[in-house]
Amino acid sequence: MLSLLIWLPLFGAIVIGVYPKLSAARNFALSISSVTFLIALFLFFKFDPTISGVQMEEYLPWLQQIGLSYRLGIDGISLPLLALNSFLSWIVIYGSKSEIDRSRLYYALILVVSSVVAGAFVAQNLLLFILFYELELIPLYLLIAIWGGEKRTYAAMKFLIYTAISGFLILLGFFSLAWLSGSSSFDYTINLQSIGSIPLPTQVIILTIILVGFGIKTPLVPLHTWLPDVYVESSPSVAILLGGVLSKLGTYGFVRFGLQLMPDAWAELSPALGIIGTVSVLYGALTAIAQKDIKRMVAYSSIGHMGYVLVACAAGTKLSLIGAVGQMVSHGLILALLFYLVGVIETKVGTRDLDSLNGLLNPIRGLPLTSTLLIIGGMASAGIPGLVGFIAEFLVFQGSFTVFPILTLLCIIASGLTAVYFVILLNRTCFGKLDNATAYYPKVTWAEHTPALILVALIFFLGIQPSWLLKWSEPTTNSLVASLVESVDRQIVLQSPSLVARN
Amino acid sequence: MTTATLETTKPVLPPSQHEFAEVIHRLEAGGAMLPDTPENLMQIIGLYKAYAVPMDFYWRNLLYIAEQVFLDPLPFFKYFIPKEYLELQNHYAGDRADLRIWRGIGSAHPELLAFMEKGETLKMPKIFHHLWHDRINMEFAEECMRAMLWHRGMGGQFDPYLDSDEYKANADKAIRAYFKFNPVMMGLYQLFPDMFLEQVRQMSYYSNLGLFWEIMAPVFFEMSDLYDEGKISSVPEAMDFLVNGIFAISGRPIYHQVNIRGEVFEIIPKSKGFMWLYEAALPYVEAVFYRTSPFRGTKSYNAQTQQVPEDQKDFYFGILYADVFPVGTAGIPPTLLMQDMLHFLPPYLVEYYAKHCRGQDDMLIQLGVSFQRSMYCVTSAVIQALRTALLYPLDDPNPKHLAANRAFFEAQLDRFKRPEARMRNIQSQDYR
Repeated sequence: MLSLLIWLPLFGAIVIGVYPKLSAARNFALSISSVTFLIALFLFFKFDPTISGVQMEEYLPWLQQIGLSYRLGIDGISLPLLALNSFLSWIVIYGSKSEIDRSRLYYALILVVSSVVAGAFVAQNLLLFILFYELELIPLYLLIAIWGGEKRTYAAMKFLIYTAISGFLILLGFFSLAWLSGSSSFDYTINLQSIGSIPLPTQVIILTIILVGFGIKTPLVPLHTWLPDVYVESSPSVAILLGGVLSKLGTYGFVRFGLQLMPDAWAELSPALGIIGTVSVLYGALTAIAQKDIKRMVAYSSIGHMGYVLVACAAGTKLSLIGAVGQMVSHGLILALLFYLVGVIETKVGTRDLDSLNGLLNPIRGLPLTSTLLIIGGMASAGIPGLVGFIAEFLVFQGSFTVFPILTLLCIIASGLTAVYFVILLNRTCFGKLDNATAYYPKVTWAEHTPALILVALIFFLGIQPSWLLKWSEPTTNSLVASLVESVDRQIVLQSPSLVARN
Repeated sequence: MTTATLETTKPVLPPSQHEFAEVIHRLEAGGAMLPDTPENLMQIIGLYKAYAVPMDFYWRNLLYIAEQVFLDPLPFFKYFIPKEYLELQNHYAGDRADLRIWRGIGSAHPELLAFMEKGETLKMPKIFHHLWHDRINMEFAEECMRAMLWHRGMGGQFDPYLDSDEYKANADKAIRAYFKFNPVMMGLYQLFPDMFLEQVRQMSYYSNLGLFWEIMAPVFFEMSDLYDEGKISSVPEAMDFLVNGIFAISGRPIYHQVNIRGEVFEIIPKSKGFMWLYEAALPYVEAVFYRTSPFRGTKSYNAQTQQVPEDQKDFYFGILYADVFPVGTAGIPPTLLMQDMLHFLPPYLVEYYAKHCRGQDDMLIQLGVSFQRSMYCVTSAVIQALRTALLYPLDDPNPKHLAANRAFFEAQLDRFKRPEARMRNIQSQDYR
């Protein structure tokens, strides 16, 4: 079942790529993507939310000599992200036009991205994970370089360099883990058992290397400098993939390979990580306020929202971790909505400049429904109750407060700043008076609105019924917290044996 | 009297250095401010027709309010025009016309009656049509009247007369007769006589505007018919028809009489000799086309930062300056009028609008822009009429006279130098 999520899109990509007579590439890609998404949905029926461990495992020996095996499985963390990946891939394909240049290559590459990202989320072997992690680099590089904006070559190269360094650091970390622990396999479970043999200072160094790798991907301040250029220069569809799905590989890495694989080192680093997360949150929000380009503004908002995830993971409480998973999904949905709508506005109005945009809510000549959806997206991102953003942020704040009260308060302030830049965005873009010297914008069709409407429906639904988002992850995150607590206790015993003996 | 275009006349003046030199040269050649293109002609004539049908209701209802409703303290049903006013014969249309401008009937237009019957929804009691706003929006007409009343002092004899003792005495008689059996209102009148007098002045402006539009409706109907028959084939011809019409009926008296329990009270007698052109047409153009008031709904004006001129005569919020995006108010932009005109568009305009911008979806704005073009044509006619009345013929051989004409045109066009003026926009067909 899990293999289908990898191989079906890949099969679709190959068919589109090699079968020259396939004229309706978009329809074919959409069909493949729809089936993939249905399979991902079907996993929810098969998944037992009461089990904290890995489920639906698939195993095939591969290159045993180097410890690489085809081992797949899902748990409460990967399941929602897997569904998010399939869903957003469908949205991206649906939202792209069939008459796009080199459409066969375009849709094939999107299917490849969907395939390899799914592979990374279900992989249960470190080398298999890094294989998928690196593989997504190629299609994404091409998607940015071919269908991007004016400075696409520069942006694609920047993305390539940063992501390659990210992959290299993660690979270095994984090799170090395996070699230093003496493990002959790169399977997660085996490494989880043998990691204790590595001295804590060494673990901290390895984890730092891995976290820098994932920090580039997420990205976190100060490793974020590739993000604004790449997000802005990418087409809206690719920006959805980058912000909605790819960035989640970074935060997924924090949880999976930091918190779960090396809880002792994670506990050591968590205060520093909390600070980095908070700096990212504040930096993202403050920089977004200063932007004049609405796409760049949304891009910077992404840095801030990813910071919440790191703060929550660093806090490592039951509530904060469930909030972190929630925030990953919530951010994926909201960012996809915002990027999609920014794309619609850019296509219809011809600009993303805040100083040029005005009065789009005008019911006759403006983009009233697009503007309404943008307002909802802004509200969701700012954490207005009733929308999914609120649930995730509230859990993050409540869960983190007990561990990092000051950092959490700073994050709450940043959440207020989110409202500030979205009010700026919405006020300049949607409100005011539409200038009838320029307002000859084409109408946005219902078909063009459909992806945004679906995303908004989901944002509302999960905001009102958050258990549908969170119940899958709770046992897994609880078990992570338990291992983290054990680890902290173990450190106390190791560092102060006399104190423990007295007690 | 303006004649046909003088494009072949040899220029005896050097080219104008005015910002709108091209437009001034066009006016000097007997043309309009609006460029002479078949597309412009189609738009303005189509809009005249669409405007004339609700206008046929406006003038009847305005006169009904001025003459019958008068000072009713609870005028809930003032828009429920009685049959006698629908059958009222227009003095410039029909068999019994004093001067037959339109060859059609003198009573209410058939399209108007059909719309009043069913509206755009379905046949139902009049009260439901009213509450659902499925009707002719008289609020627009009242807003125009109010603009004239509010600005006042725009020249002529009519307005100063409203402050005369004679007028006050006439009004007093009418007020006392109207409230003869209403002691409460009579008591209020004793306490606040000026308030009642001001209401009567407003009623006089109802009458003024009603009498103005009584003429304009048949003028527009006739222009539409002539266009359909191929007898008007250019913008200057359309403007000439307007100018000729203006002069033909310029002497029509403007008056105000009230019918109270079968007795007629002359508040402004016909014998005062107030002429249609100077007492109604020119103040109307000044108040509604140029000035109105800075309350457009979605845009806020900051008077402290000089966004609203200190002097009312400098106001620039009329249709010639308006941003025609509908704001839902009765005033300018004429959202309610645009809604009214939408029901009576000739098929060729519906087809034309469907081909541009968002077709059916933004027809309201497209017809608003066409309305703006047509009002520039009307304003051109007024400017040419004033030039004819006050200055010299366009083919005058005396260069000094031509220079005076030019100075007049330039002074008129100075009013469109403001960035808000749509003069620049209407020169291009891309403004829709």
